[in-house]
Amino acid sequence: MKYHVFTRNRSGDDMIHAGTVQADSDRLARIYAHRTYDEEDWDFMGVVREEDLLEVNEEPISSRGVA
Amino acid sequence: MSADAESRWPAVARDYVQAIADTKLLLGQRYGEWMLKGPNLEDDISGASNGQDEIGQVRQLFRLLEKQGVDRDWLETDREPAEYANAQPLDEEAEAWPTFMVQVALSDRAAWLLLDAIRHEDFTGMVQKMGEDEYFHLEHHDARLETLAVDQPEAVEAALERYFPGILAFIGPATYGAGEDPLVEADFTDRAVAEIRGAFREHYVDLFAGTDVTVPALTDDVPDPDEWDEKRRRSGDGHIDQRVADQLQGVTNREYVIE
Repeated sequence: MKYHVFTRNRSGDDMIHAGTVQADSDRLARIYAHRTYDEEDWDFMGVVREEDLLEVNEEPISSRGVA
Repeated sequence: MSADAESRWPAVARDYVQAIADTKLLLGQRYGEWMLKGPNLEDDISGASNGQDEIGQVRQLFRLLEKQGVDRDWLETDREPAEYANAQPLDEEAEAWPTFMVQVALSDRAAWLLLDAIRHEDFTGMVQKMGEDEYFHLEHHDARLETLAVDQPEAVEAALERYFPGILAFIGPATYGAGEDPLVEADFTDRAVAEIRGAFREHYVDLFAGTDVTVPALTDDVPDPDEWDEKRRRSGDGHIDQRVADQLQGVTNREYVIE
C-alpha cells in the first residue's frame, strides 16, 4: 500500500507533504516514515493511506431543475 | 578501597557487556550486508539506520570496556574470530529475507533486554538513549514479522527453530534464576536471566498469536548449564568467519587508511 507522509515544524503550522512510503501495514508505514523523513525536529509526523484520501471533484452542476 | 577499585566491575559484568557490545557489532555488520538487498527501499533505509545506531552504541560500550581495563586495540583491531562474544545466530549471514529478519529481530531484542537489565551507574542515561534507538529497531522487526508470519509462516517458523537455541544461550542458562544469577547478586543487573528468557519468549508468543507460526518452547537444558561458556554466552566453540573479522577490523581496506 502507498502511504502519504505529512509533517509540520511547529504546533499550529500547516502540514507539509513530506513524501510517500510503500508499506504492508500501518505499523510498518509509521516506522518507514520515521526512518525515511526524520531529518528535522518535527512537531508532528503522520501517515495516511492513499486510498483514504478523499478526492475533491469539480463536477458541473446539472442544468436540469435549476431555475 | 581506592576510587579505581570502587568503580571496577566484577569480571562477569565485563564479560556480559562485552557480549552485548560484540552482538551489536555483528548486528551492524549484518544490517550492512542487507542494506541494499531488502524487498523494498523502505526496508533498506530502515536497516541502514539500524546499522548506524548499532555501531554508535558499540563505540559507547567499547569506551566503557576500555575504562574497565580492556585493551582498545584488542577490542577494535586485534582479535581472532573465536574471541568475539556475539550471539551465536549472528555468526553467519542469513541467506533469505525472512531468515534475516528473524535473525536480527531475535538478536537485537535479546541484546536490548540484557542491556536494559543493567542498573550500574556507569550506564545511567546511556541506556535510556539507546532505548530511543531500539524502539525503532524492534518496531520495524515486529511489524515486518507480523506481515511475514501471514505471507511466509513456514519460513518464519523454520528460522525461529534455527536461531532460538543460540539466542537462549546468549541470554543465559535457565539455572540463573532469582537468587542464582551472579550479575543480580553483584547488583550489576536487576533482572535475572531466567526472567528475561520468559519475557523474551512471551513477546513472540504474543506477536505470532493468531498466525500459523509456533514459537519454540523454553527448555531448561538449552543451553546446557554444564557446557555453557559464560565469557562468550554460548555453547560450543563456533565463531564468525575470518573474512567478517577482517571487515570489522578494517583489515580488508587497510591500505586506504588516511594516516
